[in-house]
This record gives sequence, structure tokens and C-alpha cells, in this order.
Amino acid sequence: MPRITIDGSEVEVAPRTTLLQAVLARGAEVPHYCYHPALSIAGNCRMCLVEVERAPKLVIACATEAADGMVVRTGTERVKQAQAHVMEFLLINHPLDCTICDQAGECRLQEYAVEYGTGRSRLEDPKVLLAKAIDIGRHVMLDQERCIQCSRCTRFCDEVTGTGELAFFQRGSRTMIGIYPGRRLDNPYSGNVVDLCPVGALTLKEFRFRTRVWYLKNTPTVCAGCSRGCNVMVSVGRQQEIMTTSGQFDDRIKRIVPRFNPAVNGHWICDEGRLSYERLEAAPPTGTAQCPPGTEVEWETAVSRAADALKRAAAAGRAAAVVSPRLINETLFAWRRLFQGLGDVTVGVQRILRGADDALLLRADKGANATGASWIFGDTTTADAVLAAARGGDVDTLLVLGDVLDPADTVSVDDAARSRLGHLIHVGPFVDGTARRASLLLPGCAWSEEDGTLVNCDGRVQRLRRCHRPRGEGRDGWRIVADLAAAAGLTFPGWRSTADVLQAAAAEIPQLSGVTDEGVAMLGMVGAGGARVA
Amino acid sequence: MEPVLTRNVGKERSQSLAVYESGGGYAALRKALRELTPADVIEQVKASGLRGRGGAGFPTGLKWSFMPKTKDPARPHYLLNNADESEPGTFKDRLLMEHDPHLVVESTLLSGYAMQADACFIYIRGEYVQAARALERAIAEAYAKGYAGKNILGSGFDCELVLHRGAGAYICGEETALMTSLEGDRGYPRFKPPFPAQKGVWGMPTTINNVETLACVPFIIERGAEWFAGIGPNPKNTGPKLYCLSGHVRRPGVFEREMGYSLRRLIEEDGGGMLHADRPLKACVPGGISVPVLRAEDCDVGLDFDSLAAKKSALGSAGIMVMDSSTCMVKALLRTTHFFAHESCGQCTPCRQGCGWMEQVLERIEHGAGRAADLDLLLDVANHIEGHTICALGDAAAWPVQSYLRHFRDEFTAHVEAGRCVAGAARQHA
Repeated sequence: MPRITIDGSEVEVAPRTTLLQAVLARGAEVPHYCYHPALSIAGNCRMCLVEVERAPKLVIACATEAADGMVVRTGTERVKQAQAHVMEFLLINHPLDCTICDQAGECRLQEYAVEYGTGRSRLEDPKVLLAKAIDIGRHVMLDQERCIQCSRCTRFCDEVTGTGELAFFQRGSRTMIGIYPGRRLDNPYSGNVVDLCPVGALTLKEFRFRTRVWYLKNTPTVCAGCSRGCNVMVSVGRQQEIMTTSGQFDDRIKRIVPRFNPAVNGHWICDEGRLSYERLEAAPPTGTAQCPPGTEVEWETAVSRAADALKRAAAAGRAAAVVSPRLINETLFAWRRLFQGLGDVTVGVQRILRGADDALLLRADKGANATGASWIFGDTTTADAVLAAARGGDVDTLLVLGDVLDPADTVSVDDAARSRLGHLIHVGPFVDGTARRASLLLPGCAWSEEDGTLVNCDGRVQRLRRCHRPRGEGRDGWRIVADLAAAAGLTFPGWRSTADVLQAAAAEIPQLSGVTDEGVAMLGMVGAGGARVA
Repeated sequence: MEPVLTRNVGKERSQSLAVYESGGGYAALRKALRELTPADVIEQVKASGLRGRGGAGFPTGLKWSFMPKTKDPARPHYLLNNADESEPGTFKDRLLMEHDPHLVVESTLLSGYAMQADACFIYIRGEYVQAARALERAIAEAYAKGYAGKNILGSGFDCELVLHRGAGAYICGEETALMTSLEGDRGYPRFKPPFPAQKGVWGMPTTINNVETLACVPFIIERGAEWFAGIGPNPKNTGPKLYCLSGHVRRPGVFEREMGYSLRRLIEEDGGGMLHADRPLKACVPGGISVPVLRAEDCDVGLDFDSLAAKKSALGSAGIMVMDSSTCMVKALLRTTHFFAHESCGQCTPCRQGCGWMEQVLERIEHGAGRAADLDLLLDVANHIEGHTICALGDAAAWPVQSYLRHFRDEFTAHVEAGRCVAGAARQHA
């Protein structure tokens, strides 16, 4: 284990650790653009120059491995001079169009210019002009003038997706990132190049010119697009807090970016997940309780009618439920309790399968909590079997727990089934196809509106967080269930928070045993009984 | 001295195998394969004091000794003969390749034997069409005669020889960029370490040498290291050397003389003196366009690595460019800097941005819009390119700016103040 001295303090590092990694591990910083922990070392930005005793030249910290006895200095006058000059070099041909650049506020050029630059330019000559606003793919726009040629995007396409759409063209100060002739940046992970870009050269079509990043409220949560459960950061506008004169309420989701979790998604997310909020935002919210759809009723009235229908049907053995595999554990567990209390309710957990698993992150199983649902309900019958039973006239009251991410994924109740049903109760955030045919609607929370936990395809329990307040009058799933239980006259646990529900579930569901709110924390956990499910 | 490297140049049909063999060609390869181990060859080259002719002057034998001593069968060794010769003012390798291609072939294979190479590549600059044709023919003849390929001369040594033509970039003469280019990628230099001997082309142990460097090896094997080490006045700079003389001289060309030969004598005697009798020597770039310029009074110097280093310049690729009193140093530096700005590969920040910036400033000065502060700005930019880049192109671009301003600052100042060339004015008065 090499021992090195960094700015006066001695540290022991693992063999093959680079100086940059050693500095970052101490919580200190050496500025860098091209270095990215998940990509190969390029060593081209020259921002991470540091002084090593007895080395004649400054060395790049990103590519220099720690050797025993090395004495490293990261803040000497010589280093500062070099950094200031690299900043000047990077900025001479940069358009400095921060005022109209989407990256402003989270731009490494801005940050390092303040921290390490001189604050002035000595350039008296015209800047190099390159192309701007080039449409290079379904989601990505390129501005060649803003680019600092760090090659993170090209390395991503070469090394992570293996698709190799991007490359450098031309030489010298006319060097530019570009796309190979006849190609498009249309791989399923293309949005990651936007996150990787330390400047405003690559921007996401769906986010550019939408808002300033300092008007965003960011919530760490988990993507519900598929069963991978990639860790993400959801950004919603909070413009009304600052721009009070506009009076506009702007807590829409503006973007989703990956959040690093080495056990799940590393640094990346797929484009499908990145844009999964689009249909959620576009769908009409359920709003208030309705019976029938279009006719608002008091919450208590709706709950009491629903409880009544469910109770009668259950007593006759003619109650059934179809459950979305994207519901959180807490909601599912509460329904399980209710169904147990009602007696005989046939449960079918829906499967949402599309496409195939890929080598990186995407899973064919789109049920973000398919694993959790299978743990909580055990081996249930399928949603199709429940609908078939309905068509056969065996079901009087059908409860549909609708999808929380995409209205199109809610199970579809066809005419043949609907005509034989006495009651179709829909609980969910969207007025989707099934909701329109229902006899009773109870508004639930959408994916981004509720706190809870999901279990990904590897049995990892992860935290879903409320990113903004519900757009309709959606309520937490377990609270809806508690109200129904009370209306049905059932004794029900006196849960006071989502954490209480999780605690109860962990005590009862073997695969969730040992799972605690604290344990799940930011990066999730695997419970004592949470063996990987096939 | 009697010609060594150029002994066949000028002979009728000097490119042919027959002429090459009749002059003793391939005897060194035969001798090495029969009598010497690869380690013996490396020892001989070490003892000869041969230093790399590509520019840096690194001891060749020492470089060779960095290759793994025992060969891992899963990791082939490669020898790359750097025939990219892209340094302006340099045209010595071209002479050898066009006139004596079999010397290049033999020296590559012989050195490949020392490196225990599975294959040797000659990476030749794309513009060298005639040289490439000559080498192609020579390689085919060598294969036909059993000098290359499987079981060379019955020795059991297998070595393929491949000619690879570059696509015309200065940077591909830089050894790591050459490797990247040979692999089929954009010719970007790589940072070191890892050095090529550990992780070279295709990640395998690799040695890269210049054409002229390798061309010395057959003579060292044939005539002995002592003979080679005895050539030249400076014991640390030995052997025959090709000098490329160009610019304001009466008789430009390639001259083979001993290492350490007098620059003054090369210009006066071999070059036939200055082109115009009334225009005396003003400056000289002794090692290809990238090395620091010398003033006329510094030209009494031996042309070798150490003597020129003592004058704060370098032998480089021995491309000697002579400038007379009519030369505008601003324009000369602008032309030089334009070259580097054009050829900067664009990979790392200081060189990519700095070279273009220096060119812009010089362009402005040349055309009468210079400011007094520009000279310090130029120096500051050059100083912060130098040493801060992946490869030496950044240094190569910085050295001319630094040295022109060191030696001719008054002329630059006068040019800025007058808004035009003052050297040209001097020429009119003369």
C-alpha cells in the first residue's frame, strides 16, 4: 500500500490509486473536466495539474498513480498559475453566452472560472466560430462553440453503450465534437451525454429553455420505469417561490437525472426513464372522488360506497382486485391487510412486460415493484385470469389499483368484463381508460407524489420520495385503505406514517424482514430475507 | 568522411536488391541471426553510443533494454519504424527510403530481431508516395528472398514486415500518436506512463525508432560498436549523421557527415555559402522547425545533441534552416506558429487553444496591428503551453516563440512600432 503526502498530510492508498482519486477521497478537490470515474482516463483537459516533488514538470493528477513516498502539492503558486492559464485557454474561444445557456448554474466552466480563473481575458482577437444548435439525436442538441473537448461524451458512446456515434472532427482550435455523417445519437442511453457534459455543449431537448436550474427543487428518488429501479434526482420547478409577481404555480417535473448508486445503476439512466415523467405530466389527474365518473362526491361518501360494495362482494366470494406492479410496498401491504379483513378477495398482480432486458440497465419487466408485490401477495393469480373471471360473471365488485406512472399501463377492463360487473372501483392518480368505465373513482397519488419503498429486480428495497404535492386530491395509498377499513367497520392498525406501515410489513413479510426506514436511506438495502428473485 | 548510410545513394538502380546485396547488404542481418542473440545486438547498440535520430536523442540501446527480457507468448512484441518524417525542414529519411529502401528493410528486421518482434511496421507519411513504392518493392523482394516472414534465413526467427501509409498529419510522427493511428484511430498522442515498451501498439510491448536511427544498426553489427563510437569529436554523440540543409544557401540538400560536424562549415563549405553574397547569415534553426532558433553569432557550434543543448537549442531532426539578413523574423515566426496551430491535434487544452491564439497575435503584429503588450502575452502563452501538454507538440510550438523573442525582441518591437517589417527595409537599404 503506497503511502503518499498530499498537501502536508500523509495518506495510505490502495495500489494503482491515482492522485486525483486520492485527493477526492479525502474530500478535497483538484479541479477537473475530462476525468469521470466511470470512463477511461483521457488526460486532455489539463485542469488537474499538480506538483509532485522531484518531478520536473507538473503532472496530471487524473493519470498519475500514487507511488510510495510521493509528495504531492495541489495548491502551490505554480499549480495556481497553470490552472489559471488552462481556464484562460478554455475560455478564449468559448462564447460566454451564460445568459442564454441552460447549463448556467451547474456549469463547471462557471464554477472553476470563479474558483481558479483570473476573471479577465487577454484575448483581443476574434473567437473561433463553430456551429450551434445542431440537432444530433432524438433528445440531444449540440453547441460546438461551448464545447471544451473533454471527450466525456465520445468516451461514453465508445465505452458504455458501445455505439460510437460521436467523435472529434478537425484539428487545433477548430477541433469539434460531432456526429458521424449519416448517424444520429439515438441510442437508448443518449441523455447521459448531457449529464456528462461539464458545460452547455450538449443539452436535452426536453429541458432546454424550460427553466433556470436554480429554480429547481431536487428530490432524490427512484425511477419507476422498469424493475431496475435506477436511482434518480427529480427536479421540479419552484418558480412561484421566487418569482412571486408572475403568480404562476410551477411545480411540474422539469427533468430527471441519474443519481449515483453503484449497486443499481452506477452513473447512468436510460432515456425511457429520464422522460418517464412526460406521460405522467400529460395525463388528466383524477382530481376529487367521483361516483360515477364526472360526478364529484364527498370523500366520505365515496369511501363508504366503495367499502360497502367490497364488503358485500367479499362476503359472497365475488370480490376481486387487479393490482399495478408499480405501487409502493406500503400501499400494497395496506391492501393486503384490508383484503384479509374482508375475507375472500381474489388478487391478480398485473405484469407489464415490454421489449427485452439489455446489457446495461433496461429491463423488460416494467413493474417497478413487481418483486415487492410478489412478496406481499405471494403467488397470486394473474390480472388476465381475474378479468377472465369477470367476463365469466364470477366477479361482482372489481377493484382496479391503477398505474401510478403511465395511464396507458393501467389494466384495461374491456366491455365483456365491464358489462358483467356490478361495481368497478378505480383507485389511482389518472383518469385513464379504465377509470372512465368505473362506477367509482378514488384519487390516489402518482409516482412522484408519494413517499414509500419499492423493491427492484435484485431484491433491493429503495426509497421513493414525494417530489411535489399531488396535482389532484390524491391521497397516500395506505390512508385510502385505512379509510375504507374504517368505513367497512374493520379493525385496522393505527398507522400514523408511511414508516409505521413499512415497520409492520417488515415484521410480517419474510422477505422484508430487517428492512428499516433508516436502513433504506439514500441507496437502498437488501433485507434479511430479501433473496434475489428469479 | 566516407559515406556510410548514403553509400548506395547515387548508384545506378540503388533500390534493387541486387545492388544492395552486392554492396554487402543483408550481411548484418545474416550475421546477427547466426552469431548473436537479441541481447547481444542490444549490447552492441548500447556500446556504440547510438542516440535516436528522430529528435530527442535518447540512447537507442537503453530504449531497447526497456522491452521485456523474457517474452510472454500471449503478448507479441512490435517494432515500429517511424518513417513519418513530418518535421518541416527534414528530408533525410526520405533520401534513404527512396534511394536505398533495402537498407531500411534490413535495419528494421535486424532491429526487430533484437526486440524479439513478431512484426515490424514501417509507418510512412502519406505524402511519401515514391518512397512508399520503393519500400513496397523492397519488402516484396525481401519476403521472396527469405529475409522477412517465417523462419528468416533458416534461423527459426519469424517476423512479419508491414508498410503502413499515414494520412498526412504532423502529430502522427509523435510516437504514441503513431501507435494510435496505426491502430486505426484518430492520431491522438497518449500520456506516458505507460511507456510503449510496457503497453504500446495494441497494448503490447513496442519499440519505436526513427528510420535513420535503425539504419545505423546494420553498420554497428557489421563494423562493430567501437568503430561507430569512434565517429565524431564528442564521445557522447557518435556515428554518421544526415544533415538536411535548406533555406538561404547556395546548395541545399542532405549531407552525411560525422556527428558533431560544424554548423558553420556545413553552411559555408557543404552548402556553398549564403545564397546572396550581400546578405549575411542572420539566424539558423538547426533541428527542424520546432527547435529554438540560433543567432548568427551562435552558429559556431558542433551539430550534435549536447553541443546544441548548450546553446539552448537542439539537434532535433537535423533539419537546418538558414535565414539571411532579408528575413523578417516576425513573418518567419508567424509561418512557424501557423504550422503548429494547424497541426495541433486538438486533444489537450493548452496546445489546442494556445497555438491558435499565438498565431492570431502574430498575424496581427505582422499586419501592423500589434500592441506593445503583445510580446509579453505571446511569451506568457508559450510558457503555459510548454510542459503542460500530453505530448511534445506543445513544447515544439512554444520553443520557437520563446527563442525568437529571446534573440530578436528588438526586431519584434520595431515591427510593432513601425506597423510593418523592418528587416525588409534593411534589405532595401543594403
